[in-house]
Amino acid sequence: MTATGYDEDTDRSPSPAPRRARGIIASVVSVIGELLITAGVILALFVAYSLWWTNVLADREANKQGDQVRKHWATSGPKGPGALDTKDGIGFLHVPAMSGGEMLVKKGTDSEILNEGVAGYYTEPVKSGLPQDKKGNFTLAAHRDGHGAKFHNIDKLKDGDPIVFESKDTWYIYKVYATLEETSKYNVDVLDAVPKESGKRQAGRYITLTTCTPVYTSNYRYIVWGELERTEKVDADRTRPKELR
Amino acid sequence: MYGWIWRHLPGNAWVKAFISLVLVLAVVFVLFQYVFPWAEPMLPFNDVTVDRGMAAVR
Repeated sequence: MTATGYDEDTDRSPSPAPRRARGIIASVVSVIGELLITAGVILALFVAYSLWWTNVLADREANKQGDQVRKHWATSGPKGPGALDTKDGIGFLHVPAMSGGEMLVKKGTDSEILNEGVAGYYTEPVKSGLPQDKKGNFTLAAHRDGHGAKFHNIDKLKDGDPIVFESKDTWYIYKVYATLEETSKYNVDVLDAVPKESGKRQAGRYITLTTCTPVYTSNYRYIVWGELERTEKVDADRTRPKELR
Repeated sequence: MYGWIWRHLPGNAWVKAFISLVLVLAVVFVLFQYVFPWAEPMLPFNDVTVDRGMAAVR
């Protein structure tokens, strides 16, 4: 690879013309080799970026925004304006089975929003219901890997596991009743107000979690459905419901 | 290529090594800060939502 390497070598060549040709070929090959090594290093760096650095950034951002929401809740009155502030985030999702702590829930599922390390509720193609609605399906998406990877352990959720949504004044306790381990990414029916694929036929208060599967790819979607079991008023100390203790 | 860069850096081996390290770090910074965030949405690794297909812009 060094210049001296093939200089010494080519000194033994009989005539100058082939010597120069060999030198040119050798440098071309060495440049191609170095470019290939460089490409490999860049790809490795990209993996580190996707699986580690985006998590660092997203967690930092989500914590900052989550603190803001909590501060906002603490300062505004019990029934004052801001009971539902969709800009900063509407509340927190707690899923003990995924063991990732709380995740902020914001409006929208654009990548700019999900990349902040939050779970987003759908505005399109099917508009999500909200937990306080009498009937509806609260549909959420979050990243499986990178950008906070909030739904990384979605496969750990089994029927009967609690999914708790915390709003400013209410705990909504959902229980998982169906999962769909692999479905097409175009299967928007899973977001219906009455998700028929989960086996339900009647309007109710449902929650739907969607993310990509298998891990590290996004060929398919993984769906988890839950149904509201009960709600609890948030008390002054924000005592957690028994599912989260 | 890298040999050429090495030969054209000023100073002795230590200075060259230091400048090389700074250059490598600068390249990594540019990749993480600008190139990867730009390239990532074009790669099919991190779409998590269901949608109506290519017609629907997420």
